[in-house]
Amino acid sequence: MKNKLLNERVNKIMGSLDSIGKATAPDFFYTRLVSKMEAVEEKRVFPVLRPAFIAAILSVFLIVNVFSLLEMNKTKQNSTARQGKPVGIESFLNAYDMQGGSVYE
Amino acid sequence: MTEQELLFGLRHGEESAFKELVIRFQDKVFNTALGLLQHHTEAEDVAQEVFIQVFRSIQNFKGESLLSTWIYRITVTKSLDHLRSKKRKKRFGFLNTLFGDNNLPVYEPEDFNHPGVLQENKEDAAFLFKMIDQLPENQRTAFVLNKVEDLSYREIAAILDSTESAVDSLLQRAKQNLRKKLNNSPP
Repeated sequence: MKNKLLNERVNKIMGSLDSIGKATAPDFFYTRLVSKMEAVEEKRVFPVLRPAFIAAILSVFLIVNVFSLLEMNKTKQNSTARQGKPVGIESFLNAYDMQGGSVYE
Repeated sequence: MTEQELLFGLRHGEESAFKELVIRFQDKVFNTALGLLQHHTEAEDVAQEVFIQVFRSIQNFKGESLLSTWIYRITVTKSLDHLRSKKRKKRFGFLNTLFGDNNLPVYEPEDFNHPGVLQENKEDAAFLFKMIDQLPENQRTAFVLNKVEDLSYREIAAILDSTESAVDSLLQRAKQNLRKKLNNSPP
């Protein structure tokens, strides 16, 4: 008896969509669609204004700056070495004339 | 305007042709999206995206199927994509609350009432839609296209790029699953 009632209930629920009508698109659908399309086009035309684009450009600038600073340092060191100038502790010893050998000589 | 004239106009970027296309298909697209998404605002958004996609890729439409089949296919794809992204967001919702991106509680939709359902069936239909929401994607799509959009097996097969017998089997399985779910969780 309980099963029969449950079956009837299930059949009723399953049949609830049998006579369903169709939903219609909301009013002013076309107008809204056109404004959305214009907004999307604007975004595509002016990607420069998007925060992600600005962040990407800034990151590229930062990377280029760091890279060029490192390169400049490297070039400086190389040119000093090429000119025969001693680097680091040697240049310090040269500057203060401390390369005269041992004090016991 | 015939379908050929409509296509010619669309391919040449004529606004009148696009307007005609939207007027001709807006209800079909909206009703299908609404059946799949069970949410009015989301269905409208997806319907708009469908027409934007049609506008952008009309040059790729080779006319191997009917224009309506192609538009239905885009609607189904966009609706299922939307559902997947919604599920993903729900799954990772707790992360958003942890990191303060969105401190609102996870939105639980209330019962969905399709505007085409008769008044006396509203409660039953709302419960059935809840069960449809739990079906696998392909069964859900076939069931909605058949019951809500009233498409024939042949039309559904063309949209899903399948055969009529495969659609029949999908619908049988969908009905069996729904019956099982209704038996296990009576309203």
